[in-house]
Amino acid sequence: VGLVAREVEVLRSAVRGWGEALRRLWGARPGAARIAAIVFAAGAALSGAASLAAQARLPGRLPSEQDWTALRALLEREARPGDVVALSPAWAERARELLPLSLPVLAARRYAGEDLLGVRRVWLVSLPRAPGFSWEPEQDLLLRGSPTGRPARLGALEVARLDVAFPILPLAFLPDRVARAEGAGADAAREVREVAGAPRPCLVGRAGDGAPLALAFAPLRVGRVIRGHVGAVAAEALPGPARISLFVDAEEAGEAEVSGSGFVPFQIDTGRFAGQLRAVSLRVTLPPPGAELCVDAAALP
Amino acid sequence: MSALPHLRWRAARPIAAAWALATLAALAALQGAPGVSRDEAAVLAGTAARGGGERHAAPPLAPSVAAITHALGAAAGLGHARAYRLGSALAGALLSALLAAAAWQLAGPAAAALAPALFWLAPRTLHAGLVATPDLALAALALAAVLAWGRASAAESRARAAWAAGAGLLLGAAVLARADAWTLAIALAAHAAGARALARRTRGAVDAGEVARAGGGAGKVAVAVGAGAALVVLAWPAVLRAGASPWLPPPGGISAPAVALAALPPSILFVFAGGLAQALARIYAAVRSRTRAEVAPHDASGDALLVLAALAALAGSTLAHAPAGARPFLHALPFLALLGARAVVRAAELAWPARRGAVAAALALLVLYPGLRAAMEAFPNGAAAWNELAGGAAGGASRGLRRQDGGEAVGALLREVSARAAPGARIWWPGVADGAVELYGRDGRLRADLVPAEGPEDADLAVVPLDGGSRDAEYRAWAALRTARPSSGVYVDEVPLAFVYARPGAWR
Repeated sequence: VGLVAREVEVLRSAVRGWGEALRRLWGARPGAARIAAIVFAAGAALSGAASLAAQARLPGRLPSEQDWTALRALLEREARPGDVVALSPAWAERARELLPLSLPVLAARRYAGEDLLGVRRVWLVSLPRAPGFSWEPEQDLLLRGSPTGRPARLGALEVARLDVAFPILPLAFLPDRVARAEGAGADAAREVREVAGAPRPCLVGRAGDGAPLALAFAPLRVGRVIRGHVGAVAAEALPGPARISLFVDAEEAGEAEVSGSGFVPFQIDTGRFAGQLRAVSLRVTLPPPGAELCVDAAALP
Repeated sequence: MSALPHLRWRAARPIAAAWALATLAALAALQGAPGVSRDEAAVLAGTAARGGGERHAAPPLAPSVAAITHALGAAAGLGHARAYRLGSALAGALLSALLAAAAWQLAGPAAAALAPALFWLAPRTLHAGLVATPDLALAALALAAVLAWGRASAAESRARAAWAAGAGLLLGAAVLARADAWTLAIALAAHAAGARALARRTRGAVDAGEVARAGGGAGKVAVAVGAGAALVVLAWPAVLRAGASPWLPPPGGISAPAVALAALPPSILFVFAGGLAQALARIYAAVRSRTRAEVAPHDASGDALLVLAALAALAGSTLAHAPAGARPFLHALPFLALLGARAVVRAAELAWPARRGAVAAALALLVLYPGLRAAMEAFPNGAAAWNELAGGAAGGASRGLRRQDGGEAVGALLREVSARAAPGARIWWPGVADGAVELYGRDGRLRADLVPAEGPEDADLAVVPLDGGSRDAEYRAWAALRTARPSSGVYVDEVPLAFVYARPGAWR
């Protein structure tokens, strides 16, 4: 009992000592102004040090010239017809300058809803440690195909190959087969224009103002459907509902009405002409005031 | 430490002069490198239109100054771009001198050394000093107007009217630089009203003269506004027909303040925020203390003037302009730099009084070095820089922030274009002002035989800036030149700022 009492007394005196020390420290604490000054000085020093650390780490998070050279060598060795390169993030466009000419480069923020015509395999080139990196492009592409093997690391670059599960292989891309194109006030022409934030190879002409955009194509082998897109150039959305009429030879094969923003898809059934070599034309009509349109279409099997 | 209104130039003169000379030399030396943005080209176009009706479409100060410095500089053998931009270097020197002198008055020589550095050591503020846009002149004139207004607040009745008229004239000159500077008049009027209320509230703590000086606010405002308005109408008569457009630029939307936070180095932003907080605390102490006078009313009045000027510039420009980096609110930064410099010096004194010099120096180094490093990395594309909170240029591009002011990044490609373009090649410059291309040619930065093309169909080469917005012109060049592969490019942190596309055979 005496031993316990002695131990309790020792413990009490220790607690009293600590309490006294804490009281003394609290009594000697700096004033509010000094505390604020210390906090401010520490915050300023920390923010400066953090900025310097971020600046020092940045080159390691971005690809070097060696990384790009390694990527080029990989793709020169492995790429096949039907392959494309998709960049993530979309601004990493040094790839356009350095990668093999034969490989188309896609640089979109999202790929949901994109047709990826003629694409069998996608080489997804990512900068996963780049500031602001997002997995959204990869998520979109994973819905379209499956990765083969583990991604390759080339310095700050990561390269994954995805095989597209259901490639859309067109029988013909109509803007490449245009025979005659007439719009309101001027002939339409094959161009590449920005619609919905991405480059679109398409036929460009005016519709509205009392005249449709009429596009006639060289004879082609017609498939099950004609699928295409219509978008307004230099505008968010079509100015009104656009009516697209498809003619096979002189016969109206079907029509579709589309409206809204972006590169709006349409699809017209051509099953009864499937497998036949026929002359095809499209007519796009818009209500006034009309707009400059970017139109593409493909004959799909 | 003294109140802001009682500027004593003699003591601060050596350091103010040193800062002014250093600023002038640095800016003049670097001004040849940056490309010409569309806004700057509009200023240069204004110099050509002087004397005609066209000059009245925009505030006339920047074109007039550029025309004068060009006439003087070109005669002295300077290149055309350098000569046009000399006015910005002079405005920068004036701004540095004013900042050093005012900071000396606020918090002594250490603050005088620090305040100009807080303003300049950031990529975007340095870039503003290298081009002929009116933003830097506006910053210098805004600071001068506010300092003059501070003197008017502290002066006796006759001198008060003279200083108020001086402040008004300087404010009018600021409006002639950029029309949205009128928002500073709100700050001056609010200060006049606030100073009177503060003096009344602390009547017991101060002498009667101070209360009397704080009076007459309405008269002071009337004199300043009258002088400023008279100057504006005399120098820019067309302002009466100009409508609302120059006064209220298009709204920047809810994201504009967030964009502003991404435009300056975080450590400098932290110091600015600390300086603002300290000033607000001092104003609160002056109001609360009444008779104890912990902070003298004239000190609090000076603090209130700086806070109001900074807030008016921030609110007026950040909320009213499209988000475009630091340019819209550049004229708020001198006030924040003054408050920030005082906060650093005071924090060092309070945190470790025995080592205050060493603490202040270490703090200044840590706060300033990231901005200096970023400015060196980004040069000459300072308008492409975003801070570490945004993730640098790469993070800014991921977030869809602007990559440049308007086509100036092609300046970094001129040497290569001149070296590798085929003889007599026709070049299409979408997104680059015609005046900029002409200036590159006059300055010898672009080979004389290279001809501008009207469109991509006529061109052998296309030089395309990428500002983060529409790329329709670039895609048209792909179709016309039959290639989507750039022949060359300019990059900051791997983010492309400009590309050159060439027809086969047009690029050697």
